[in-house]
Amino acid sequence: MCDMAVAQDQLQFTKEPFIEDVGPHRIKSIQFSTFSGSEIRKSAEVQVWKSGYYDSTRKPIENALLDPHMGPANKGGTCATCHGNFTTCPGHFGYLNLALPVFNVGYTNLIVDILKSICKSCARILLRENDRVEFLKKMRNPKLEVLQKSALAKDIATKKCKPTACSRCRYVNGMVKKVGMSIMHDRSKIVDGTSEECSSAISHKKESKASVNNVHVLNPVRVLALFKRMVDEDCELLYLNERPEKLIMTDIAVPPIPIRPSVFTDGGARSNENDITARLSTIIRANAILRQELENPDKSKCLADWELLQVEVAQYINSDVRGIPFNMQSSTPYRGFVQRLKGKQGRFRGNLSGKRVEYTGRTVISPDPNLKITEVAIPILMAQVLTYPERVSHHNIEKLKQCVRNGPQKYPGANFIRYPDGSLRHLRYSSRKRAADELKYGYIVERHLEDGDVVLFNRQPSLHRMSIMSHRARVMPWRTLRFNESVCNPYNADFDGDEMNLHVPQTQEARTEALMLMGVENNLCTPKNGEILVASTQDFLTSSFLITRKDTFYDRAAFSLLCSYMGDGMDHIDLPTPTIIKPIELWTGKQLFSVLVRPNAQMRVFLNFTVLEKNYSKSSETMCPNDGFVYFRNSELLSGQLGKATLGNGNKDGLFSVLLRDYNTHAAATCMNRLAKLSARWIGNHGFSIGIDDVQPGYLLNKQKKARIDEGYDACDELIQSFNKGNLKLQPGCDAAQTLEAEITGVLNKIRETTAKVCMEELHWRNSPLIMSQCGSKGSPINISQMIACVGQQSVGGRRAPNGFIDRSLPHFPRKSKMPAAKGFVANSFYTGLTATEFFFHTMGGREGLVDTAVKTADTGYMSRRLIKALEDLSIHYDDTVRSASGGVVQFLYGDDGMDPAKMEGKSGVPLNLERLYLKVKATCPARAQASLSPSEVFKIVEEKLARHDAASAGGCSDAFKKSLLDFMCTKMKAFRHTKSALQLDEEYIGNANPNILVKVAANISGITSQQLQVFLDICTSRYDSKRIEAGMAIGAVGAQSIGEPGTQMTLKTFHFAGVASMNVTLGVPRIKEIINGAKKISTPIITAILECHSDVKSARIVKGCVEKTTLGEVAKSMKIVMTSRQASIVITLDMEGIHALHLKISAYSVKQSILQHSKIKSMMKHHSIEVLDDRKLRILPSDSDKRKLQFELHTLRATLPNVIVKGIPTVERAVINKEGKKYNLLVEGTDMRAVMGTPGVDGCQTKSNNIIEVKETLGIEAARKCIISEIQYTMASHGMSIDIRHMMLLADLMTYKGEVLGITRFGIQKMKESVLMLASFEKTADHLFNASFNGRDDKIEGVSECIIMGIPMQIGTGILKVKQSVKQELKLNYGLDPIIS
Amino acid sequence: MVELLFEDIFTLIRIDPDGKKFDKVSRIEAQSEQFDMYMQLDVNSEIYPLQVGEKFAMVLAPTLNLDGTPDTGFYTQGQRKSLADKFEYVMHGKLYKLSEEGSGINVKVEIYASFGGLLMMLKGDPSNAAKFELDQRLFLLMRKV
Repeated sequence: MCDMAVAQDQLQFTKEPFIEDVGPHRIKSIQFSTFSGSEIRKSAEVQVWKSGYYDSTRKPIENALLDPHMGPANKGGTCATCHGNFTTCPGHFGYLNLALPVFNVGYTNLIVDILKSICKSCARILLRENDRVEFLKKMRNPKLEVLQKSALAKDIATKKCKPTACSRCRYVNGMVKKVGMSIMHDRSKIVDGTSEECSSAISHKKESKASVNNVHVLNPVRVLALFKRMVDEDCELLYLNERPEKLIMTDIAVPPIPIRPSVFTDGGARSNENDITARLSTIIRANAILRQELENPDKSKCLADWELLQVEVAQYINSDVRGIPFNMQSSTPYRGFVQRLKGKQGRFRGNLSGKRVEYTGRTVISPDPNLKITEVAIPILMAQVLTYPERVSHHNIEKLKQCVRNGPQKYPGANFIRYPDGSLRHLRYSSRKRAADELKYGYIVERHLEDGDVVLFNRQPSLHRMSIMSHRARVMPWRTLRFNESVCNPYNADFDGDEMNLHVPQTQEARTEALMLMGVENNLCTPKNGEILVASTQDFLTSSFLITRKDTFYDRAAFSLLCSYMGDGMDHIDLPTPTIIKPIELWTGKQLFSVLVRPNAQMRVFLNFTVLEKNYSKSSETMCPNDGFVYFRNSELLSGQLGKATLGNGNKDGLFSVLLRDYNTHAAATCMNRLAKLSARWIGNHGFSIGIDDVQPGYLLNKQKKARIDEGYDACDELIQSFNKGNLKLQPGCDAAQTLEAEITGVLNKIRETTAKVCMEELHWRNSPLIMSQCGSKGSPINISQMIACVGQQSVGGRRAPNGFIDRSLPHFPRKSKMPAAKGFVANSFYTGLTATEFFFHTMGGREGLVDTAVKTADTGYMSRRLIKALEDLSIHYDDTVRSASGGVVQFLYGDDGMDPAKMEGKSGVPLNLERLYLKVKATCPARAQASLSPSEVFKIVEEKLARHDAASAGGCSDAFKKSLLDFMCTKMKAFRHTKSALQLDEEYIGNANPNILVKVAANISGITSQQLQVFLDICTSRYDSKRIEAGMAIGAVGAQSIGEPGTQMTLKTFHFAGVASMNVTLGVPRIKEIINGAKKISTPIITAILECHSDVKSARIVKGCVEKTTLGEVAKSMKIVMTSRQASIVITLDMEGIHALHLKISAYSVKQSILQHSKIKSMMKHHSIEVLDDRKLRILPSDSDKRKLQFELHTLRATLPNVIVKGIPTVERAVINKEGKKYNLLVEGTDMRAVMGTPGVDGCQTKSNNIIEVKETLGIEAARKCIISEIQYTMASHGMSIDIRHMMLLADLMTYKGEVLGITRFGIQKMKESVLMLASFEKTADHLFNASFNGRDDKIEGVSECIIMGIPMQIGTGILKVKQSVKQELKLNYGLDPIIS
Repeated sequence: MVELLFEDIFTLIRIDPDGKKFDKVSRIEAQSEQFDMYMQLDVNSEIYPLQVGEKFAMVLAPTLNLDGTPDTGFYTQGQRKSLADKFEYVMHGKLYKLSEEGSGINVKVEIYASFGGLLMMLKGDPSNAAKFELDQRLFLLMRKV
């Protein structure tokens, strides 16, 4: 089906000139085409026509399916064509001639399409001549892309070619359709007299009473004949690359034996044949029978045999083919070619895109805090199997000789020696001593892994690039793979039995690349948002938290011991001056952390940052009574108890992040190593455990809990009572029952929250769960409260427990009970134990969680796969553009500023955290005696610096960055001015006692010297420059992972109130799916309408009335059928009071118009007339055409009239007034954004919708792009996930850059990408391949998928650059005369 | 002679204004007599217990050496005479922040220092802050009177 165009240009010389070997040839492109019967015969080595496989001597039968010309059938044989053996022979094709042609199932639909558009008589296209010429011109346009071309061809085939009389031969064509396996030409509906003629002719015959069937079967022979007569130009119109007769099979290419191996079983008694071979043998049988029948003069059975052959051949290609007659369906389904290719286990996804590899290991993991974060401990057993080929050189010969001597069994050994001639020597079976002595430079020894080797470490599911990182090997005893717990986060690993994989790169290049790109140290931050990912967890946090408590003091011995814990006793440590000198020398735990960050004076690390911890009391900064304000100044911990915010992952200004940004990755890594060692050893001595007394509530707690629960129950009872009485105050947009539910849920949730708060306050500080929750290592206040005080409300589907019985949840409760306990409130704690009903409710909630996670993993996995496939080939180029593999520009400047999301320091993706930098500069460059600058001087310097920087560097800074810098300096100067004025220093200086003192104080408080400012600006600009994204970065894949990975973490919360209760918006995975799919119909479309007059509720109500649909039934006081003796009519009376109260502008006149526009009534109104009696009354008079139907008609009318929409937008479900801050806006549930925008009172310019397709249709593609970005951002943010906006921009740009909103689905991706191989490896494998060969597509191997499939390095990342070298010899110029004597 | 940065006698007003949070450390509030300075200070109550109403002398000094030579940061062996001899409780730390509060006549300067996590906040007239510098090493010496 495909032949490869190998780039080869060879000239023939009589004497071969010397040509330097350019290495292996590269496949430039793949051309897909069709093969005709003669081509198959030509390329085949042997004709296959005999059935059977082996003869009695177990030799393959000649001309049978295992003919040795097609390759050796098993290990013993040799190939009769190339004389190769089982391993060397690549295999050769045979051919099988079919007695009669059959359809190729893969092309069936395409054949039908061709038949539909050609005349079945003259085989010309069913277009008028001028149309044909025009379309041909369009089709031949060289600028036309493949996609447009196939769309045009489809348009021609389906729409333009009408089954009518052929303009050339006047033959009237009928419909062509596929019935089962055969193609029918239906001419029965044509009225041209032929059928009448035919039936009249037949009616003269006696026996045929049956009606004439004017439906012809277009059998393969007829189709082949038609196709042969087709003109080439017509083929071109249908985007057919080659002659259409190639679509019909006359011969079968029998595939080479190596792809369908034959295996002897039962000790060689029987052979087990491949499915393909088995199917071919049935085809041979069917073919033989058919051939025999054809020679038989009585051809009656012929058709049945032909059909059988057709079915067999169809199943040979696709065994799942539809339309097989029931009696021919075989019980043993053989795998056809299509089945071999498609699906997860198929050739494309199972063998070409993902391959099995050698040099891998997998085992259980366990933690080891004594390892560096860059290390992984490998069991000796594993190290003896995984090898690295090391070339013998002057430097390692002694080591390798020892390895060879040790052999495969003893640890630092070797398994093989590879000699320069390519031969391999296994060291198990040969004399190792001699081999070691004979070891020479240039030999390659496959030695065991040793300490320091580079290995790749991975845990599935590999959701982001940090799921596979490169570590340094550390060979150790025992059987598990071990690593520092700090690296758990990127892998998302724990040690409850997880297993992980290990790969050993085999070349020096691979090692270097692995170390540089995938090394743990180079992946401390996630490119998702620049937060640190490798950071302390669990125990490390707990022990740091306890060490830095304000009342931990150590004497000299203890403090020195703890200092020695940090390293391996090799580091120099300067002991700080003790905090308390007298009465006894005491050091605090915080000083220990100062030592940890900067152990000695030689270490030039000056950390400066502030962090708010969880327990910060929201005021008084460092003086926080809970010690929650962490302040590091010049590597000294001044205040604050360290917890997750400082040391943990998922933050941007914690200790490790700051180390990483201000210094380098190595500084952060070593600090993590030290912390891991210190805390593991400290907590080992200190001990940290949890017991029953940790969850026993005290007297006070019990009392408090009881009081809270009673309070809550009383509140609920009150609500229920007022509901029963009917005087419950309704929430906007809710009915009474909904309001009751919402309020009760609120009250009950509050119980849990307050009990949690009480727990946190009342528990002793030594309570282990409390410590863990405070420092952020594990658990939340809710978890503690559930163990100690109260489990709280159980929810199923976001509501309280549903009714499993009639009007009640369980039979333990009275009917229609709305009590907390009857609806799943668990008042007990896990310690006190749950009652039977409580337990049941708890399992209901628990089950929902389990089901949700099980379902969600599949959903998100598929979503990630689609995202990756769509975005995989996007990369940054040297001109800062984001392009796809074929060079199409997706973004002109990545993320609008060309910054790397992994390197962003500030919140919400701004490049720098200016506040922290300013603090650092002021702390690290002391002012000394220098005077502070005045604000005007400051601004002058800043602007000069920025201007100079713009001129010097290539791109300069983005405007946004400049603005943020200026704004920042503005706020700082404002503070300085404020200080000065507070100290009465400014212009209005009134001769204070000693102004110099005050000036100095002011400078100390908030001044900045010129040197400090200079340094600050230098750091800002140089660091900004270093944050640019690098060319070659596979930003598409990174973006896809950054959006796909958080999807897996989205928890149960799928609904969320958009400001107003009961106005739900879909969230979580379902919503992300909707956005990414580009769904036309979304589950909760909401239009947010900003009001022109947003301060007034009344005007909001008026607008609401205009938007919300009002039916006649709602505003009519009465609708009566009035019958008098003369006439019958319907009289409608409007409820004008109600209409006025609701500010609706409805009168009898407008109602008349509305009634007339109602689609159902419109048709009836031909006979009726509407009369407006006065402002509030209408009369509908039916026409007196048919008196008998009158009564019936009136009643139908009466029934439909209440549904007539008299006001508002019909597609709007409802509208709710929402108060946001002090402004009112309108939330409109439903579609038709255009109508909402046009409603008087609505500010159309600010109206938003969450329906992307609708936004595209009303406002255009740019608005849709913006909408995609904001919707993804909103959804992610409401799950507490921050993702750099650049990723979402890229996704939105990809979805919109073709000018329409393309979903990341198989249909959208088809329109984005051209590569056949890429699409085939995604979904619908066979369809893409068959279409490609039909259209003669040419796949340039450019994209990621194609390159992987072909085994070619891709043009992304380090592959973006190539070395271009001039191999031409430089021309030598001789100056002066030629020498006389040479 | 060592030049003291600040010297005054304080009266203890309150202990643990926000409730007792730590076993061994109490936050005390005190008011000085001479300069009318307000102070918050974390004190190790286990080794130096204090009661409300007690009066104590508090001195801030840049060094403990009696001759005024700067502090080296190294431990000096042997019992040399030092400023600490006259005091009962001595802490060592660092001044990390100066800020102002209020404006006009009522303006007050706040001086913040951290003694290995035990914090001090001294609030008073700006003129008292003249000798203080950011990142200055401080010795806090206390003696009950």
